[in-house]
Amino acid sequence: MRWGMVVNLSKCVRCYACIAACRIEHFLPMGVSWPRLVALETGIERPTVSNYSVRCNHCKNAPCVSVCPTGATFQRNDGIIMIDQNKCVGCRYCVIACPYQNRTFVSKDKDRGFFPGRIQTDFEKAGKKRYPHQVGTTEKCNFCVERIDEGTKQGLTPGKDRDATPACVNTCPARALTFGNLDDPDSEISKLIRENEGFQLHPEYDTDPSIYFIDRGIGSNQALRKSEDTRQESIATGGSK
Amino acid sequence: MATMQVHEWMINYTRQTEWIDRRGLFLWLAFYAGGLGGGLYLVSLYFNSLWGMLFGWLIITGIKGSAHLIFLGKPLRAWRIVFRPHSSWLSRGIIFVLSFALFGAIQMALTRWAPGSTAEIVFKVLAGAAAFAVSIYTGFVLNSVKAVPFWNSMLLPILFILCGVLGGFGLSVVIALNGGDVNLAAAEAGTRWLLVINALLIGIYLWRAANRETTGKKSVLEQIQGNLAPFFWIGIVALGIIVPLGIALVSHLAGEVSASLILTGVTCEIIGGLTLRYCVLKAGAYKPLVARPR
Amino acid sequence: MTKNIVKTTCKSCHGGCGVLVTVEDGVITHIEGNPDTPTRGTMCSKGLSSIQHINHPDRLLYPLKRAGKRGEGKWERISWDKALDIIETKMKDSIARYGASSIAVSQGTGRGYNEYTHRFARSIGTANIITPGYVCHSPRLGLYGLVTGNGRLYCDYHGWGGEYPKTSISWAKQLEISSADSEMAVWFLESLKHVKNLIVIDPRETALSSRATLWLQIRPGTDAALALAMINVIINEGLWDKEFVDKWTYGFDKLKERVQEYTPERAAKITWLKADDIVKAARLFAIDTPGCIQFGSSLERQANCGQTLRAVICLLGVTGNIERPGSMMSWMPPASGLREDFFTEIPITDEMRKGIVGAGDFRMGAARTAHSDSVIKQLLKGDSIIKVWFSVGGQQIIHLANTTEVIKGLNNVEFLIHADQFMGPMAEIADIVLPAAHWLEIDDIYDMHPRFMIEAHNKVVDPPGEAWQDSKIFNEIGKRVAPQYWFENVEKMLDYQLRKANITWKQFSEMGFLARMGKDQIYYKYKTDFWRKGGGFPTPTGKMELYSTVLEKLGYDPLPYFREPGESPYSTPELAKEYPLILSTGYRQPFYFLSQYRNIPWLRSFQQDPTMQIHPDTARKYGIEDGDWAWIESPRGKIKQRARLFPGIHPGVVMATANCFYPEDPGPLHGLTRSNPNVLTSNNHFDPMYGSPDLTALLCKVSRAPDGD
Ligand SMILES: Nc1nc2c(c(=O)[nH]1)N[C@H]1C(S)=C(S)[C@@H](COP(=O)(O)OP(=O)(O)OC[C@H]3O[C@@H](n4cnc5c(=O)[nH]c(N)nc54)[C@H](O)[C@@H]3O)O[C@H]1N2
Ligand SMILES: Nc1nc2c(c(=O)[nH]1)N[C@H]1C(S)=C(S)[C@@H](COP(=O)(O)OP(=O)(O)OC[C@H]3O[C@@H](n4cnc5c(=O)[nH]c(N)nc54)[C@H](O)[C@@H]3O)O[C@H]1N2
Ligand code: SF4
Ligand code: SF4
Ligand code: SF4
Ligand code: SF4
Ligand code: SF4
Ligand SMILES: [Mo]
Repeated sequence: MRWGMVVNLSKCVRCYACIAACRIEHFLPMGVSWPRLVALETGIERPTVSNYSVRCNHCKNAPCVSVCPTGATFQRNDGIIMIDQNKCVGCRYCVIACPYQNRTFVSKDKDRGFFPGRIQTDFEKAGKKRYPHQVGTTEKCNFCVERIDEGTKQGLTPGKDRDATPACVNTCPARALTFGNLDDPDSEISKLIRENEGFQLHPEYDTDPSIYFIDRGIGSNQALRKSEDTRQESIATGGSK
Repeated sequence: MATMQVHEWMINYTRQTEWIDRRGLFLWLAFYAGGLGGGLYLVSLYFNSLWGMLFGWLIITGIKGSAHLIFLGKPLRAWRIVFRPHSSWLSRGIIFVLSFALFGAIQMALTRWAPGSTAEIVFKVLAGAAAFAVSIYTGFVLNSVKAVPFWNSMLLPILFILCGVLGGFGLSVVIALNGGDVNLAAAEAGTRWLLVINALLIGIYLWRAANRETTGKKSVLEQIQGNLAPFFWIGIVALGIIVPLGIALVSHLAGEVSASLILTGVTCEIIGGLTLRYCVLKAGAYKPLVARPR
Repeated sequence: MTKNIVKTTCKSCHGGCGVLVTVEDGVITHIEGNPDTPTRGTMCSKGLSSIQHINHPDRLLYPLKRAGKRGEGKWERISWDKALDIIETKMKDSIARYGASSIAVSQGTGRGYNEYTHRFARSIGTANIITPGYVCHSPRLGLYGLVTGNGRLYCDYHGWGGEYPKTSISWAKQLEISSADSEMAVWFLESLKHVKNLIVIDPRETALSSRATLWLQIRPGTDAALALAMINVIINEGLWDKEFVDKWTYGFDKLKERVQEYTPERAAKITWLKADDIVKAARLFAIDTPGCIQFGSSLERQANCGQTLRAVICLLGVTGNIERPGSMMSWMPPASGLREDFFTEIPITDEMRKGIVGAGDFRMGAARTAHSDSVIKQLLKGDSIIKVWFSVGGQQIIHLANTTEVIKGLNNVEFLIHADQFMGPMAEIADIVLPAAHWLEIDDIYDMHPRFMIEAHNKVVDPPGEAWQDSKIFNEIGKRVAPQYWFENVEKMLDYQLRKANITWKQFSEMGFLARMGKDQIYYKYKTDFWRKGGGFPTPTGKMELYSTVLEKLGYDPLPYFREPGESPYSTPELAKEYPLILSTGYRQPFYFLSQYRNIPWLRSFQQDPTMQIHPDTARKYGIEDGDWAWIESPRGKIKQRARLFPGIHPGVVMATANCFYPEDPGPLHGLTRSNPNVLTSNNHFDPMYGSPDLTALLCKVSRAPDGD
């Protein structure tokens, strides 16, 4: 079992929903963003617009794990790289060592609240209880491990059932994000990667990321054009509860 | 320059910031202090200068240790770092520091009260090795970061330790001038040689970095003509190399210069060393996250 | 701890996403899309960031009455009763002294309360309704109505008729991020899985155009020439849909004659496209049918918009892309009927019609609503028909052309009432400010344009302070000024709106939405008795009118033609010497909604400053680097935006973010003249039918603006 994600570059439309969803899901402090969007339209000479929705790659050979001097960062059996917030000393070696820059050290100035010096919103107050963040430690995307664990406990399948699937994947209006098991050759993501020449970011670092990207042109999908099913199409990553 | 927006990040030249900006300055201090203290201790071993060893020990335990501790986000958990030498250079580094603190203290006591004993020699070897490790390990810490081409070079540890030893020689000169147990002429000679070697090494290092990667080249350009240029040219080149080298040369030729001039030279060397670490940390930038579209 | 999940509907944009909101002990702790709705559980960053909107410390909490000079920022808190008293008196006075047309009712872009705006105005006897409709969706609806008899055509992204579009054209549109007019991005994007060809017509490149079958990088304001040339190719190559054209259209021969002028070669010169690409686009669209065209409102923000849209609609006609599965559809409303009925049931009288500002000049646009720019001109001249202006949402002060004049004009309004959630520029210059509720705080019925469904806004939390939902504001004022048309309370009013579906608001609120989807939709209505016995379209000729008999009667050209924008290198070559670049505005940002949300920290974090796109070569010429502040100047004034060097934009074109101000800047203007492109736009050159100004095609020059200037 190895959880992974596929990001479809020919679909992502730079709506930033994945980022907002993660901020809500994990009550992220104002200055912290686990996922990020890299919009390749800046300072580039060739006009191809690409939006890379990126987050921790949950690398198989993760430099952040190997450098962590406290063991706070570790890898679960299902491939998810976790940080034990109660062990982290905030040395930031992992921040430096992650070649994809997917980690954030939560310093005080990144947790000044939505409206610094004015009010603390009810949502923030609730967040402090429900999902406390520790200033002085390092954070990153956890693949919505809470959803995965809670969901699988209920017998749901991450990537298929909404309640067991990462928040960013659920919200994406472009359906650019797909989640699933990389070790299962029949999973949707394995197929997507196989059929669309999926690639990882910087394979030369030998980190073996669990996030793949695919980038195909739009169109020419005639086979899919006929719609037998004229009912409202069933809901993509979920279905009714 | 515009403030960096979420979506501009990791496309262009993206510097690391955690280890130099804001509180990161403490890490810079710590890293340099480690190099300097270790260097001074090694030089002092050579001169068998107890004063020098003591100062080296104080620099490492006092400045290096506390600066590093202050830098941590959760200093109270620092003990966790000690038990994981298999993990990384950071952990090993702390172990080096702790062993140096221990071995150094025993060694100095032995040198003071039981000079010439086998124990003294054993602990000199142990403490010397630890000091060496303390001053070189930060080079490995940086060198292990694959995505920062500017750091990903074997020259970096060498540069760091030589720079530490250079500072060590400089401080021994100060000790000698103050009537300490160091041979002034030898210390000055050491300084001269190291200055020349260091200057060459910095040149080679930059030249190699510039040729390795676009990002590496940008890091180099950032130093010699970008935002870091004042630091580079004034701090590293002028203060760190030219001024001390000039003074050393004059002193070599004239045989004798004023103590204050020599002190000036040593101060400049230390500023140069500090600036070198500063620039190396500050200019460390990541390769863009995604390859540009074909 | 109490925890419950409320189903509701987002309208942080034109809206429509189904939403699930988790409330714990009265506090919203989570918000996400509702998977059991037609938007399938997706939401964008704007809707999600509502969490920072509802608790915002700058929300308006109480009715306010101006205490100092206009725009001085001095306010006195008053009770709702007092506010309603003042408004009632002012309105009744004005009606008594100048007639009901002296009252204007305005709104911004559609935010689900359109029905109330129109009903309120009509109920008190005025048709001086001020909306941005004439640059946003109304011309489209009007012309669809004219040509096909039915005013609503939308792309069939749903496959309900068994087929998806084979060729999809995104024409001056960023539906993927705008979900404009509630044609939701998620539907469009899902339909792309099924297309064979995607054609993007846009002066700038996007993620979609990078991967499209064909991208036509057109010169802004020249789309009519392109459409006519495409028809030219289709007709001259014999690719038109013969059966449909023969049986169901009127005026094909005349159209054929007209388009002969527009050869691909000539159009290529006008549009800066390659003739080959025009031919290719025409062939793809004519051969690979069914196809649909997603219109963008950039086409409506131009002084030739009427004819441009006519041309594009004719393109749909000659290819038969109407009412067929996978083409353009007029959807059947759900059982509740068209929500327009809620205001059309109060007809516009002749007297109301006579009172409409601009009615004489723009016979298509100013027939049911006022012409905004004419209102401003009257205010400037001091002979304004409008005395009392009741503004609910909307920032006319920002969104109308020629900001300098607009500010002066608005300051001349005798009495201005503004309802909003924040103290924006429009509220700052008002006499009475009313606090409005956010969609998480209201009970209401929602529908935007495609009209095949209505959705429920269910109140999740109470509005802050004494804020009221818009429907209540309208109802309470309505009850005082025109009681016969208004309701005891909001719930009764909602029941009334649902009566045709035989359900009450309470029932509907639990259902969440009511839609006609899938097999319930009827395709090929013109082949049945649906519109007219024996088949046909509900037009004077019973056909789809390629040649418009209605326009002919109104004195407009019955056939589409191309006209240069008011300012362009060709229409004003002298001016172009000083202002060599073409400026287009619009360029919606995914995380803002027009001028809104720059005060929402999450959304602001995505882009601090308004940004313009400029080609690196052009930028280099003017010494501008990526991220620099740059001046953009026109004969009307100058603004600055951040320059984004972008090779995907035509070197001759600059694209500026529209409608922006800086909420954090001091009032009354909140920096609205600093970066807002309407400082540059002209209100002197209008579309003859709709009165739309050239907002997306004009001339400018650029230069580097030193930082912090
Ligand atoms: N140059 C140029 N000018 C343009 C355009 C362009 O592309 N270029 N676009 C044009 C177009 S298409 C349009 S539609 C207009 C848009 O113009 P507007 O609709 O005026 O847009 P906003 O500036 O967002 O103003 C909306 C206001 O309504 C308030 N508001 C939002 N929701 C509610 C609500 O539910 N109730 C109440 N009471 N208030 C609410 C917001 O706080 C805000 O103050 O601009 C037009 N102007
Ligand atoms: N996120 C978000 N969504 C929105 C809005 C928002 O501000 N933000 N605004 C809402 C409103 S009121 C409206 S009206 C809609 C508008 O939604 P869209 O119609 O999608 O609006 P724009 O992004 O302004 O313009 C679309 C495209 O037209 C191109 N364009 C500009 N001039 C021309 C031209 O002359 N010809 C051609 N062919 N293309 C041209 C622009 O480059 C742009 O890519 O979106 C609505 N939805
Ligand atoms: S992406 Fe970075 S943080 Fe995530 S596992 Fe890989 S190295 Fe670690
Ligand atoms: S910052 Fe925390 S997680 Fe990262 S390496 Fe240090 S201890 Fe480990
Ligand atoms: S997987 Fe979950 S934690 Fe990771 S970016 Fe997406 S929402 Fe955030
Ligand atoms: S939510 Fe989807 S479309 Fe939007 S930015 Fe993220 S990946 Fe792209
Ligand atoms: S697309 Fe519109 S309705 Fe949907 S979440 Fe975004 S703002 Fe709300
Ligand atoms: Mo609009």
